[in-house]
Amino acid sequence: MAPGSVKSVVEGDAVSFALRVPASIATSTATADRRAAIHPGAWMAWATLAGIVAFTTTNVFYLVPLWAIAWFVFTQQRVPGAASRSFRVFLIAGLMAVVIRTALVFFSQVSAANVAYFALEGLRLGTILVIFGTFNAVTDPFGVVRLAPRRFQEPALAAALALSIAPRTMASLQRVREAQQLRGISTRGARALPALAVPVLEAGMEEALVLAESMDSRGHGRGRRSRYRPQSWNAAAWAMTGAAFVAAAVFRIASARGLGDLQPGTNPLHWPSVTPLVLAAEALLVVPGFLPRQGGLRR
Amino acid sequence: MTIALSFRNLTFTYPEGEHPALADVTVDIPEGAFALALGATGAGKSTFLRSANGLVPHFTGGTFAGQVFVAGRDTLANPPRRLADVVAFVPQDAGASFVLDRVEDEIAYGMENLGVDPAHMRRRVEEMLDLLDIADLRHRSLRQCSGGERQRVAIAAALAAGPRILVLDEPTSQLDPQGAEHVMAALQRLVHDHGMTVLLAEHRLERVVGWVDMAIGFDEGRATVGTPREVLGTLAVGPPVARLGRLVGWDPVPLTVRDGRAAARSHGLARPGRTTPETGDALVVLTGAHVQHEELGQPRPALRDVSFTLHQGEIVAVMGRNGAGKTTLLRTIAGVLAPHRGEVRVLGHTPVPGVDVGLCPQEPESLLFNDSVAGEVRATLRARHLPDADAPWLDRLGISHLAARHPRELSAGQRLLVATAAIAATEAPVILLDEPTRGLDPDSKAHLIRYLRTHAGGGGGAMFATHDVELAAAAATRILMLAGGEIIADGAPADVLGDSHVFAPQMTRVFGPGWLTPEQVAAAMA
Amino acid sequence: MSATRTATVHAPVAAVTRARAPLGARLRVPLLVLTNVAGLLAFLWPFALPALVHPGADHRMDSGLILVVLVGGLGGLLFTELGQGGLGPKTVALIGVLGAAMVALRLPGFVAGFNAFFIVVLVAGNSFGPGFGFLLGAVGMFASGLLIGGLGPWLPFEMVAVGWLGAGAGFLPGRGTKWPVRIGALAVYGVIGGYLYGAIMNLWLWPFITTGSALAWDPSAAAIQNLRHYATYYAATSFGWDTFRAVGDAVMVVTLGRPLLACLDRAAKRMRLEVRDADPALAAPP
Repeated sequence: MAPGSVKSVVEGDAVSFALRVPASIATSTATADRRAAIHPGAWMAWATLAGIVAFTTTNVFYLVPLWAIAWFVFTQQRVPGAASRSFRVFLIAGLMAVVIRTALVFFSQVSAANVAYFALEGLRLGTILVIFGTFNAVTDPFGVVRLAPRRFQEPALAAALALSIAPRTMASLQRVREAQQLRGISTRGARALPALAVPVLEAGMEEALVLAESMDSRGHGRGRRSRYRPQSWNAAAWAMTGAAFVAAAVFRIASARGLGDLQPGTNPLHWPSVTPLVLAAEALLVVPGFLPRQGGLRR
Repeated sequence: MTIALSFRNLTFTYPEGEHPALADVTVDIPEGAFALALGATGAGKSTFLRSANGLVPHFTGGTFAGQVFVAGRDTLANPPRRLADVVAFVPQDAGASFVLDRVEDEIAYGMENLGVDPAHMRRRVEEMLDLLDIADLRHRSLRQCSGGERQRVAIAAALAAGPRILVLDEPTSQLDPQGAEHVMAALQRLVHDHGMTVLLAEHRLERVVGWVDMAIGFDEGRATVGTPREVLGTLAVGPPVARLGRLVGWDPVPLTVRDGRAAARSHGLARPGRTTPETGDALVVLTGAHVQHEELGQPRPALRDVSFTLHQGEIVAVMGRNGAGKTTLLRTIAGVLAPHRGEVRVLGHTPVPGVDVGLCPQEPESLLFNDSVAGEVRATLRARHLPDADAPWLDRLGISHLAARHPRELSAGQRLLVATAAIAATEAPVILLDEPTRGLDPDSKAHLIRYLRTHAGGGGGAMFATHDVELAAAAATRILMLAGGEIIADGAPADVLGDSHVFAPQMTRVFGPGWLTPEQVAAAMA
Repeated sequence: MSATRTATVHAPVAAVTRARAPLGARLRVPLLVLTNVAGLLAFLWPFALPALVHPGADHRMDSGLILVVLVGGLGGLLFTELGQGGLGPKTVALIGVLGAAMVALRLPGFVAGFNAFFIVVLVAGNSFGPGFGFLLGAVGMFASGLLIGGLGPWLPFEMVAVGWLGAGAGFLPGRGTKWPVRIGALAVYGVIGGYLYGAIMNLWLWPFITTGSALAWDPSAAAIQNLRHYATYYAATSFGWDTFRAVGDAVMVVTLGRPLLACLDRAAKRMRLEVRDADPALAAPP
C-alpha cells in the first residue's frame, strides 16, 4: 500500500479468504459494460440540442421524424432497470400533450386553421417530451448528477430525485396496484384513486427522504469529491454531440433567415414544404442510435 | 481503552411519539467491540442504531436530550455527512438506500464523497468486490440484483469508505442461513483482526448471539448493557436454545447450539414419532407451471415445470436461496403472473386475485392508504362487500390495541401485521405471505403463527416464503424447497429441515432430526 | 423545568455551537427580500416610469434585465437555501419530489386557467410554511417551463407569482388546526388565489396596452381611474378563464386536501428538532 494513503481496514489474503461469501446463483444475463457507456454529459447535450430543434419548428414534416429518432435511439441505447420504463411514460405524456393542446381550440374559434395551429403546438410540445423521455431512459439520473460541480451538490440532489421520479413512480404504481388487487380492492375508476395515490405519494416522499438520508450518511455534500473511473469523453460522445450541434445550428440559422418553412402558417391551411438540407440536418440527431450499445447485453 | 460510541443520557422522542423511543440511555461501546442491540419491535433498537451516526435526530426531528459521541464527535453538532469518515451505516432496507445504478459505482460512492484518491479508490473497490464475492455483479444494475445480493453490495459499500465503526440494522434479514453465517463470520473477522467496532441489531438471535461479545437490550426505550448472557436473562427474547433453557430451567441458559448440546447431554431424546397433519381437499393445483421474466427482451425462466398441490389445513413454508423463485411461485398462485406453460387452478378455476387468494407483498406499505389501522381492514371488507366488522380481524392478529393508530406511524413489524389483517379480511381461502420476517420480533411472530393456524384450521390453506428457518420450523406443516426455479424438496418439516446442513433449526441441531421447536422438546422432556 | 432550545432545520442545531453562521445562511434573508422586491418591481415599474412604455412594446424589452435579476436572485436563493447551511438534504429531497410532481401535473392537468399543479403548491406551502412554498412555486415553474417549452420572457414572472401563491398558503392556519377549518381556509384561499394569480399575471401585459380605450392604462389618469380600467379589462379578458382556476383549486383542496396534507405533515414534522438539556426528570418512566 502506498505510503500516506488512507488506512485500509480490510487487507491481505487471509482476510479475503475469511470474508469470502458465496455468491448466490448467478442469473446475470444483462451485464452492462462500462466501456460501452456514453458520457452522461453527451446525452445531456444531445437532448438539449434535439429539444432546440423541436422548439424551433411547428412543421409537421420536421416534428414527426423526431419521434421516430427518439424512439430508435431509445431502443438502441436503453439501459437495464427501471429507467427504461420512463420512455413509455413520456411517450404517453407526449401523445396526451397533442390531444390536450388540440382541445384548447374550443376556447377560441373552432376552424380548420385553428385546429391545425393548436395541434401543431401540441405536437411540438409532445416532441420535446419524447426526446426528454429518451434522455431519461438511456441515462442514470444520479450518474448525470455526479457531473455537477461539488458546490452544486445539494441542488443536484434535488434534480436527481426529480429526474428519477418517473421510473420510480411507475415501479411503485405497479407494486401498489398489485397489492390492492390482492386484497380485493379495485384499482380502476375515480373511487380507487386514494387506494393508489396515497401509497404512491407516501412511497415517493419516503423514498426521497431515505435517499437523502443515505446520501448524507455516506458523506454527500462534504465538499470534497473525487471520481471513481470517470466516464471518458470519447469519440462516441464527440460524434453525437457534434452531430446534434450541427442539427440545432442549421435549424436556428434557417429560422433566423426564414428558410426551410420551419413555422408554416395555418391560415389558409396548406401542406408545409420540406427543405431536404434541413431534414438532412435533423437526421444527424439519430447518430447515437448507431453508436455501440451502452448497457446492453454483453454477447 | 478508547470509546468508539458513547451515548450519554440519551432521551429521544419521535415527532409523533407519546413516549420516548429511547429513555435515558447511557452506553459506552469500546473500540473493537462486537455489539448487538436486541429487544422487541418498537423497543428502541433501530432508533439507537440510527442515533449512532446522527440520522437521529438530524433526519427524524423530534425531541432530543443528552449527547452521543462518535469517535469523540458530538452528533448534534455533526450531521451524518460529517461523521461519514468514521462511521458507516447499513440500513434495514438496503435496496431503498442505493444511490447509483451500478454495483461498482455504488461501492465507490462513499469514497468519492470523502475525496479518496482515484487510484486508491480503484484498488479498494476491487478488494470489496472480492471480499464479498460479488465481482461478477460489478457491472450489474442494482435493480436487477436479488435481495441477498443487494445486502452484500450494501455492506461492501459501507466497508469501502474505510470506517472505524460499522452499524448494521438487521444485516441478515434478506439472507439465506448460509449467507447470513458468512456475513457474521466476515464481521467477526473485521473486529478480531482489524479492531473495527461493529454494532448491529437483529431479531433472529440464533444467527448472531454466538458471535457477539457485548449486548444492549432494549425494553420500552430503556437499555440494559452487559454480556449477551446477562442481557438475555433480563429480556423475554432469545434464540430457541435459550427459550428451551428457560422452559426446562437450565442454568446457565445456553445461548448457542454448542452450549445447548452440552446442556442436553443428559437428555437423550429419541426421534419423535411421526404425526401426519390432517389435510382436506386440494385448494391450489399447479401442473407443470413454467414462468419466465423478460429482461431487455430476453426471457429468463423463473419457475421451471413446477407441479404442486396445496390442501386445506396446510401451512407451507417456501424456502430456498435468494433468487430461487419463491416470490414468483407465490405471485403465480395468486393469479398476478400467468404461467407460459402449464396451469394454475385454485378451487378448480383460474385464480381471481383478492377473492380466491390474498397475498401480502414483501413491502406491506404498498397497500396501506387509510388513516387508521381499523380503517385499513374496513377498506378490504367494503371492497369485498362483507359486513363492516374489523374487530375480529384485528384481534386475530393481536393488533386490537393499535386500531386507532395511523398505520404509517407504526414499526415495521406492526405494519406487517396490519397489512396481513387487511389481506386476511378478504376471507380468501388461500393466504400467501412473502417474506414476512423483516422487523418481526418474537411477539409479532407469535401472533402471525397463531393467525396462520386459525386460518388453516378453519379449512383454509396458507403459504409463506421465508429465509427464517425457525419460523418455518415453528409454523409450517410442510416445507417446499426451491432452487433455480425447480422444486428440490417437498415434505414434512422434520424430514426436509432435518435433512439439511443449512436449513436445520437449532432444536434439530441439538437433538437430531424430528425436533423442531423448544416447546415440542420441553413437552417431551417433562 | 429544563431549559428548552427549539430549532428548526432552517436554523440547524449546528448554529448553537458555531459562533458564526455560514455565508449562505447570512445571505438568505437579503436574497429573499431582493428577489421579492425585484419581482414586485418587475411587475410594477411601467406604472412608475410611463415614459419608458412605448405603445406596442411589452416586457420583451426589459425581459433580459428582469430575467438576469430575478433568475440571479432566485438562483442565489436556491443555492443558499439548498447549499450548506441552508435547508438541508431533507428539504432538498422534498423540493425535488414535489417539484417533479408539479411538472408532471402541469402538462396534462389543465382546463383553461385551471391547472392541477396548483394543488401541490397550495398544500406544500400550507404544510411546510411560506419559505418552502415560495421556493417550491418558483422551482416548479422553472422546471416545468424548461420541459414543456414554456421558456419565454414571462417565465420569471410566473415563477414569482406562483411562489407568492405558495408563500401565501403558508400563512394560513396549518397543522394543529381542526380539519374543516384548515381545509375551508385553504379552499377559500384557492379561490382568491386563483383570481389573484390571473390578475397579477395580467399586469405583465396590461401597462403596455396604452390604446386610450376604457380598458387600457392611462399614465396621465388618476390611480382610481386606472384601477377601474384594469377591473374592466380583467373582467372582459380573464375573469371567465380564471374562474376555472379558482373553482378547480377549491374543488381539489376539498377532495384531495386532507390525505395530501396528512402525508406532507408527517414529513414536515421531521423538520422540527427540539433539543433539550439532559434532565433526569425527563427520563422518568411514563
